[in-house]
Amino acid sequence: MATERSDPSRTDRLVERTESGLEDGRFPIEIINDEDVYQAELRRVFARAWVYLGHISEFEEPGDYARRYIGEDPFIVTRDENGEMHAFLDSCMHRGAQFCTAETGNTSHFRCPYHGWTYKNDGTLQGMPHMNEAYQDLDEEEIQLQEANLATYHGLIFGRIADEGPSLSDYLGDFTWYLDVLFNATEGGLTVVGEPHRWEADYDWKTAADNFSGDSYHVLTTHQASLETKELELGPWEELDDYLEAAYLSCTDSHCAAYYLSEDPETYMGYPEEIEDHIHEDLTPEQRDLFARSVFHFGTIFPNTSYIHGIQSGGWGGPWVCLRKWQPRGCGKTETISWWLVPEEFADDDSFLEDSHSGWNSLSPAGAFESDDLTVWEGISESSGALTHEILESEGNMQQGMGDMTDLTETVDDPVYGPAETTWQGSYFDERNSRMFYQAWCEMMSGAANPEGER
Amino acid sequence: MSTQHSRPAVDPETRHRAESFIYRETDLLDAFELEAWLELLADDFTISVPVRASRDPGSEQDEFSSRSYYLREGVERIRERVGRLQKEYAWSENPRSRVRHVTGNLRILDAEGDELTVSNNQHVFRSYGDKPDHDLLSAQRHTVLRETADGFRIADRTVYLDHTVLNTKNITLPLL
Ligand code: FES
Ligand SMILES: [Fe+2]
Repeated sequence: MATERSDPSRTDRLVERTESGLEDGRFPIEIINDEDVYQAELRRVFARAWVYLGHISEFEEPGDYARRYIGEDPFIVTRDENGEMHAFLDSCMHRGAQFCTAETGNTSHFRCPYHGWTYKNDGTLQGMPHMNEAYQDLDEEEIQLQEANLATYHGLIFGRIADEGPSLSDYLGDFTWYLDVLFNATEGGLTVVGEPHRWEADYDWKTAADNFSGDSYHVLTTHQASLETKELELGPWEELDDYLEAAYLSCTDSHCAAYYLSEDPETYMGYPEEIEDHIHEDLTPEQRDLFARSVFHFGTIFPNTSYIHGIQSGGWGGPWVCLRKWQPRGCGKTETISWWLVPEEFADDDSFLEDSHSGWNSLSPAGAFESDDLTVWEGISESSGALTHEILESEGNMQQGMGDMTDLTETVDDPVYGPAETTWQGSYFDERNSRMFYQAWCEMMSGAANPEGER
Repeated sequence: MSTQHSRPAVDPETRHRAESFIYRETDLLDAFELEAWLELLADDFTISVPVRASRDPGSEQDEFSSRSYYLREGVERIRERVGRLQKEYAWSENPRSRVRHVTGNLRILDAEGDELTVSNNQHVFRSYGDKPDHDLLSAQRHTVLRETADGFRIADRTVYLDHTVLNTKNITLPLL
């Protein structure tokens, strides 16, 4: 974290070292906590990727808005009076003042507190004080809030600052096969319940995104205390003889997922039986079977969105869907934003909601599971910034699943079926997910994918 | 969180007992004497820590969520949590945080039958490991105390945090 250093080619060298290191399952540890790398990530990754902004169920009425971020930039996601969705930078085009004061709300206009310029919720200028006296020759059409590109996929709203880039469907690519089993699993789709958990701590967003991309290996150590629950009902986990043998890992080019599956084709994560009546007809028989045999899924959409769908091990509640955003807040600082979602069909079922909340809650900052992760992640961040790593060019290890490293993981075609390669027991003994995540990171961070070379 | 309560008629002796109980109970949390703390919970004890969100100034919705909680559990899970925290590999509290509640503005909000609702404000200081810095959680706590043959037992507790974004890596039981 030596902040006085400012050598523009340093980040490029670190990205190159990461790229070549990954071929051998290694990476420079210092990229986890480095001011130059972080600043480059904001420009090269966050300004150019599709970044999750919210779920359509949070914006049902015209005027509904929420304050959300792309990289560290504050955006206001809003539904205008015609029903169109937008994401505006929270910065007035007069002198840059901020005008959104709450996390969520409903308004037809935003009024700037500095000189009173007022914008409609479609981002166009409505007017300003003393317009006739002060602005007799102003081109009002020209004044509009800065707006991000928006695209949605089954209710998920993504925003992108850069004008150029792949469409959202190209960006998600083959991974939608897996995402459909979550976001398009039932006819009614998912709906957000209540408000998200939000907490900030001293860890790097990549640590979290990598962890959620398929790391069950850490569960054995980090979450040992929570798994050893004695008195609680284990639900579908009870039927798994061996968690390791029920685990699978799949990754596409940039996005990764992991699964715990049961032999029983009526498991459905412990959802009430009626779930079978609501399965979306667009699911293929394979997708349907994957959902039917599921106990727990988790994954990461590059760069900073992760999800969990399932029932909590150790008997701590569920099923629930949790959608996470690893919100960068400065080098080595991240805010976790964790939304709770349920299938629309169960949104009014109080007893279901109570169990579901318990599962979600087990991963809150007060949760029986989550509270242990953050202690570890903060330590990763602090020590990864050690000058020793920079001077000695330390390399961390992601070699699980390479070459002859294990004879336990096997590549299988089912029961995950999807277009990506799947390894059995992969989330325990195969780190291809982490390698994939960092390869995607290298691609966005490298000069080649960044022709303007903007810094 | 409602702060407008008519002052219930409580005799000075009961008021004094309730205050002493809260101070003693809070001391057990600071000292991580969680087994002893469990003894003070009623069998139907519940605890809630609602999410707080900053709302549009014109909003009629309360800042405290009626649906989302950082923690909302009954006594069974709270016992599990205490057992969990005592394991050596419960990393969230290994090493243990140094925790200190500073409790103030103790008031009796309500008295009905054998139950009293006590409100207190608190700043909870937490420092951890070999570090000079600390976290501070500010909250108002509403506790329902039930009179039993063995003295007061805690029937319910709601912790109203003053944070919309928490500034600590986790909130374990002793911080509430
Ligand atoms: S900065 Fe917004 S009106 Fe002047
Ligand atoms: Fe974890």
